[in-house]
Parts: sequence; structure tokens; C-alpha cells
Amino acid sequence: MSDGARQNFLNLIRIQKDLEKLSGPVLARLPRALDVVAEIADLEREAQDFIYHWTEVIAQSNEELAAHFIANAPAAFRFLEQSAVEGWILKAMDAFDNRGLGFAIEVLDELQNYAAARIRHETDCRFEQVAGLLRYLVRGLGGRSLQIASEVLAYTDTERIFLPPTMGVLEGRAANAALYKCTAAFLWAQNRYGTWRYRVLEEAIRTLNATQTWPVYQRLESVRLRACLARDLPGLAREMETIAYVDDRARELWRDFTRQAAPLQATTATAHDSLALVAECRNLTLPPPLRFQGEMFPAKVREVLLRRVPREKAALQRTLNALQRDLDLQTPDEQDASARAEPANRFSVSAAGDKTTDTEQYELKYNDQRMPMGPELDALLNSILQDLGDIDDDYLNPPSNRDQYPADHDSGQAPGTEIDATDDGIKVTLYPEWDYTRQRFREAFCALTEQDVPFGDEDFVAQTRAKYQGLSKSIQRVFEAILSEAQRQKRQAHGDELDLDALVEAHVDRLQGRELSDRLYTHFRKSGRSVAVMFMVDMSGSTKGWVNDAERESLILLCEAVATLGDQYAIYGFSGRTNKRCEIYRVKTFNEPYNSEVKRRISGMAPKAYTRMGVAIRHLSKLLQAAQARTKLLITLSDGKPEDYGSYRGRYGIEDTRHALLEVKRSGIHPFCITIDKEAAAYLPQMYGPSNFTVVDEVQKLPYKVADIYRRLTT
Amino acid sequence: MKPPSTAAERLIETEPYYEPSGHEIEVFAAAYRNQLPILLKGPTGCGKTRFIHYMSWHLKRPLVTVACHDDLTAADLIGRYLVRGGETEWLDGPLTYAVRHGAICYLDEIVEARKDTSVVIHPLCDDRRILPVDKLGQLLQVPPEFCLVVSYNPGYQSVLKDLKQSTRQRFVALEFSYLSAELEQKIVCTESGVDHATARQLVKFGEHTRNLKGSGLDEGASTRLLVNAAKLVASGISPAVACATAVGHPLTDDPELLQAIHELAAAVF
Repeated sequence: MSDGARQNFLNLIRIQKDLEKLSGPVLARLPRALDVVAEIADLEREAQDFIYHWTEVIAQSNEELAAHFIANAPAAFRFLEQSAVEGWILKAMDAFDNRGLGFAIEVLDELQNYAAARIRHETDCRFEQVAGLLRYLVRGLGGRSLQIASEVLAYTDTERIFLPPTMGVLEGRAANAALYKCTAAFLWAQNRYGTWRYRVLEEAIRTLNATQTWPVYQRLESVRLRACLARDLPGLAREMETIAYVDDRARELWRDFTRQAAPLQATTATAHDSLALVAECRNLTLPPPLRFQGEMFPAKVREVLLRRVPREKAALQRTLNALQRDLDLQTPDEQDASARAEPANRFSVSAAGDKTTDTEQYELKYNDQRMPMGPELDALLNSILQDLGDIDDDYLNPPSNRDQYPADHDSGQAPGTEIDATDDGIKVTLYPEWDYTRQRFREAFCALTEQDVPFGDEDFVAQTRAKYQGLSKSIQRVFEAILSEAQRQKRQAHGDELDLDALVEAHVDRLQGRELSDRLYTHFRKSGRSVAVMFMVDMSGSTKGWVNDAERESLILLCEAVATLGDQYAIYGFSGRTNKRCEIYRVKTFNEPYNSEVKRRISGMAPKAYTRMGVAIRHLSKLLQAAQARTKLLITLSDGKPEDYGSYRGRYGIEDTRHALLEVKRSGIHPFCITIDKEAAAYLPQMYGPSNFTVVDEVQKLPYKVADIYRRLTT
Repeated sequence: MKPPSTAAERLIETEPYYEPSGHEIEVFAAAYRNQLPILLKGPTGCGKTRFIHYMSWHLKRPLVTVACHDDLTAADLIGRYLVRGGETEWLDGPLTYAVRHGAICYLDEIVEARKDTSVVIHPLCDDRRILPVDKLGQLLQVPPEFCLVVSYNPGYQSVLKDLKQSTRQRFVALEFSYLSAELEQKIVCTESGVDHATARQLVKFGEHTRNLKGSGLDEGASTRLLVNAAKLVASGISPAVACATAVGHPLTDDPELLQAIHELAAAVF
């Protein structure tokens, strides 16, 4: 026996002894004990130590399991990194703890499965990993703002883009992320380039059948959309090309098919052209779907479309009405002559660019004068154009019911005046309400009561604090920074440092023989802020669930931060049912400190009934008016438009709220609205003004955003 | 103490490049002739400063620019005594200088200045047209050539940085906003020297970032940023890198948003 061989032999004996010592007699019972020992001997020293260590640990639970581990360990090191081996062991130990020895041994013996799943786990891309990015991307690409959501199949219903929870068909996570991106972009393109326009959709549903002709149509549309993308987003189109095909045969089939459908690549091609080509192409060999193509569900799209079209029509007419009213007010002389003479056909929309490929290029004209459009109107027109391709005249100039608006005028009684009445010991305050149809206040119309929010669970506060620990620290830091910014005050009679500017001036004055100022110092004062904030929180029934939780969490985070600033603040909730029962819920008054009662009231805030906003604004602004501060803010946290049982909905509710806010602004209070209603852009600018509101896209983000918004507002 | 700057004062000799997007040149000239002060509204980087340079050249008046900051007081605008060798010496502030020389005085981002600046701005901006210089005991009658121009970005949501009605209502206001795609494309080409195709794609990319305003970004890419990116491209930087460095990073620090902006740039080129 040579020295080397002898050394090897001794090594084997040593390893066998070591392992037997650790795992007990089971090792000897393994069928391939000697082979396994030899394989372990071939491993690196580090791997051997690792095996010893884990054999010992596992044997403390179960010696049988330790033996199975030893038997599979060399293979595990062949397939997996050491960290992955550890994961595999832990999975087996978990199985042992929870389900017993049999399952644990199964995990160890099915090493191959574990390795395969692990590779998949490393290369798969999950929806959550890309959702945020895709949201921004799709929003950035333009058109109607689409939500991103996860479902089993990829498709779009024209308001949302659905993507599967994981993508794993390509190799590597980056490639799968790119596939997500291409799928989202392709579904965006369906919306953007008119696949789902109302007329063509109806025609397609009428003429195509699901099994035979829809697939043809779908591929024809893919040809057309890819041509559109190649024109507008060449970089993206190139990337799509690289991952589009399942194999080379698919590539060739697509090449042939695209040749047949060449007319669809013209700039002027529309979905109608694709539809017209279906008959001609139905006998061709269909190429397999593109990887990013997704599915088409015309029925789902139709359902969403039929809901959206009338809603947007109404919204557009409302906006144009308001615009027209402003215009007529600007030119009162012409109003009589032209408005009466030709009551309709005054708004028109015309394409400024190539209409078929670029729906963004259009302009709104009013009596042939180009009108500037705000972002909301722009988005609305854009969305309507995406659905219809053009805008019918009755959208722009509704034939009847063009109410003539006189200028807003106050009734004899000043708005906000209230009459107190007493009813069973509860104080009822009466407020007027603005009726736009009458252009008058309905005097003493709303009966409002104020009551305390019942105490809730104080644990909620502690939980929220724990949940947002990091965030609340960073909010605190930011707010403290605000304080330090405005600290240094010049020209003070007393202070820590000399004010050089003042000193030089005083010197000049002395030389010229004038009176000297004694204000020669700079001083660090705690805060020059003088801000009072009223948080008006929507407690309507629609906030139930996530929204209510997010509102309460936001309030807790805000209270601590605002207290740092030394700003005065109060929190009230509002809800109610009909004008007879408008309710305001006290959570914190201006004079109350942030104490445990306030905390319990915050956690006790629960969804109630409806959203009658006007009266709440009138009442709370009156309370805010009484606060002593230079800057007064009324911040509304809300989840939707004003709405109450009875007639307080739609235009009526919005007009009353708008009027209440005008009254508020007139009294020097700044109103601001934070909402999670995604459609808020359609009506909030009317009520609050163009830059006095913020839409938070996702409820969960509300606590993160609110403090930031508050900081931006008050610095 | 910093001396009032007079370095910004100059007569503009060569015509600055400016593309009118409406009737702003005529309106400005008419307001100037009628001795009306002018308020330029609009987001950053959409041509306010360039416009005022152009008008200064067009009207052949020197231009005094003051970038307002939150420590800018009325004394900084009007002037102050300095001590030099035991003697006192008066030094005109930029506003007084502009009044004496019949210049155009441009107060950039007026809302940033201290509230007490309104004391000097108000009498200048109504029909009195006077500038009180308390320290000298003088009341300067403002010559007809003098013109006060202020700029302001209404996009800020801070209630503390809003112009008061009493100030706003003294001005003729010109609104600047993002330009039409064709005009912006022309400007990007002219300013940077890139070809039309690149300019078109850059402008399209700019529009994409503007779509993100409100859902992550406070402002979309301004024309200035697009011109910067185009200049980088013209110097041989790849469009993707140019968009990332000249547009993406200046706009935001949010990593997810940045990635989205980079993807948008990659999609367009």
C-alpha cells in the first residue's frame, strides 16, 4: 500500500468513525455506507465540517433522519450551494417537527425536486417584484391611466392590466421581468391603439366566434399593434422581438403571417382593418401566440366599457358646462347675443396631428377659439377618444338643459350662519345648504349634531406604532428639520450672536449721527410657525375596511409628527344620513392634548353612513376660524365624492361642497383634500382648485403619504 | 454681508434664441409700453428666463436679474450703506439700480422672498410708480423705461409660498407651460444640434415623464432637461445614458420610479 493510498484509507476510517460517533449505529445500516463515506472524503474540508455539524444536530432529533441526511449529503453538495443545502436541511427538519419522520425523510430523499424548485425560485419573477415599476411605466406611457393587478391569465379590461402572479418561462429573473414588462406594454398598446374601441368591439363580438375566428383576429391585431409599437417605441419593440417567439418555427410562422397581413402595418391601419382581414386569413396556418400576447376577453371589456362610457360622457358635459359658464361670465356682453342665438355647437374637438395613430394630438375649440385644457379635462377627453375614436357632438354640446348660470351670489343671510336649537339635551346646529338648481341657499336646511367618538381599543395605537416604527422615526426627523430651518431670526434685541448686517447699519447710523437701533443680535427661537390644522375625516360607510384602517393609521402617525412642530390641530370625523341627521364626530379638539383618550377615540373611529360634505365643511371651518393662528388649513381625508341619501349626489353634492369651500376660502382658510378616489381628478379640481388636492393611488400608501403632504403644505 | 450684485446687469447684445408659443411677445411689449408690471407663471424650465432675456434684447433695455431666496429682504433689493475706511458709502440694490437706469428688473421666484419685499414692490407696481428709499430719504420717480417682471411657479402646494392677492392683482400675467410637441422638438434641435428624429423621440420621452406627474413625480421633464439630454446625445453619449443622467436622476431619487423612467427612455430609443 502506497503512502497516498494508506493516507486515504486512514482518512476514510476517520470519517466513518466520526460520523458513527455523531449519528450512532444507524450509519452502519445504510446500504451504501462505504460509498457514501468515500464520497464525503472527497469533499472539501469545509463541506465535511458542515456535514459533521448538521449530522450532530439532526441526530439530536432523530438518528434515522441523520442517517438519511448522510446518505444524501454528497449528492446535495453536487447540486446545491452550501447555503441551499442548509435550506434543504431546514425544510426536512421542519417536516420532521410538523409532520413526522416519514415526511422528513421524503424531503431528504427528493433532493432533485428541491434543487429544481430552488432553481425555479431563483429565476422566476414574481408579480410583486415588478408591480411598482410597471405601474409607473404604464402611467408614463400615457393614455387612460391603467391599474396593474394580478390574475392567473394576462389580459386587460381597459381599466386594469392583469398579469400572472409569476413568470418563469424564460431563463433568468431579468428575462422574466422583461417578459412582464413586454406583456404589460402590449396590453397597454391594445388600449392605446384602439383594439377596444367601442364600435369595433361590438362588431367583433357580433361577427367572430370564440374558437375559430377570435384567434385569427387576435393575431392580426398583434401584427398591427407591433407595427404601432415599432413606430412609437422602437426600443421597446426591439426588446419585444427578442423574447416574442417560443421557438424558431414560431418565428418563421409569424414572419409568413405578418407578410399576409402586411396592410395592417400601415400607419393608418385600425382594428377595423384587422377585422376585415379575418375572413381572408382564417385558412392560413396560425402561428403560436407571442409570449407577451396575453388573452382577449371581449365580454369583460364590454362590461367595463358600457359602465365607463356614460359616466365619462356625464363628466365631460359637466366640465364643459362649468367651462362655458366661466367663459360666458368673462364676456357678459356677448352672452345674450350669441348664447341665445345659437345655443348648441359651440365646443368642438379637432385632431391637431395624425388622428389614427396619435389620439393625444387634438385640441378643444370653443367657437373656433383654441381652449387651454387642464390635466383633468385632458385625461377625460383622452379616455373618451380611446373608447370612441372621435367625440360626438352631443358629448360636447348637449341639446337641452343648458342651464344659464347667474354669478354666484350670497343670500341675504351670510353663509354659515346657524340657528341653535335644543333637542333632548343634544345641541343641534342648523346650517344652510347651497342648491345649485335654485342658485339659492336652502336656509337652516341641515341639522347637525356633534358627538364624541366612542372609545376604541388602545392597542391599535401601539400596533400602528410598531408597524410603522421606521416610518414614524423618519417623519419625526423630517419634521424636526423643518423646525431648524426657520430658527435663526435676525435683528433681535437679545440673542446668542451678533447680527453683522445690523451692526454695520448701526455703525453707519452712528457715523451719520442718527439714532442707533438696539436690535443687533440673532436669536434662535423655537418656532416661527403659526399654523392651525383641522383634519376632517370621512367616516362614511364606504370607508369600511382598508380605507378606515389607513385613515386611522395616518392620523396616529400625523398626531405625533404635528405635535413635534407645535402646530395646533384638531380632528373631527363626519358622516350622516339625510339633512336631518348630519353628524360630526369629535376626536380631538384644538385645546385637547394628544392623550390616551384621543388615542382611544382615533382607534374607535368606525364607518358610519353617508358623505354629506358641505355642512361638515361649514361647521368645521367655523371651529377652525376660532383658532388663533396665522395660517389655517382644512385638510379633508376622503375616499370619494360627496353623496348622501336622497338628492345629495352627483352635481348637487359637488356644487354644495364647492360652494362651502368657496365660503371657507373667503374667510382665509386654505382647504386641501387628500383622497384615494382614483376618479377624483374629474371633480376635485372644481371643488378644491387645481393644485389643492392629492390623490393617493393605493390605500396602503396613505400613512406614508399623508405626513409628506402635510410637510409640503406647510413649509 | 454680501454686496448687492450688479454683475447681472447688462444690455443683451446678441439675439437670444426664443420660439414664441403664442402672443407673449406682443403682450409683453404692449404691457411694457403701458408701464404695466408683468408676472410670468409656469413650471420650471419652460422658458421664462429665456423669454425675459429675449424681451430685454427686443426692447433694448438692460436686464437686472435677482434670484429670490428666503432671506431676501427689502433692504437687499433697495440698497444699503457700507462702511469703507471709516466713511459711509451708499450702494444701490439691484431694484434701485434698475430704476435709476431704466432697466428691466426680473425677480425670479418671487414667492421665495421675504414678505417685507411687498412693501417696495407694491408702490412700484401700481399707478404711483415710485420707489421709496427710506435710508436716503428719497422717493424715486420711476422712469417709463423701467419695467418690473416677476416669476412664480404655481405648482408648489405650500400654502406659505403663495402670492397674496394684493400682490398678484397688480400684474399682467403671462402663463408658460409645456410646449406643443412640434415646437418643443424644434427648440431641442436648435439648442442642441441633434437631428429631428432624435429630438422627436426625446420630446416623446419628455411627455412620458410628464404623464407621471402626480403619480410619483412632482414635475415632469422640462424643456430645459430635454435640451440638456439632447446636448449630451449630440456629444456622442448614448440616448439611454443621456436620458438617465440628464432627465431621470435630476427628476427623482426614488429607485423604482427611476427604473421606470429608464425603461421609458429605453422604450423610446
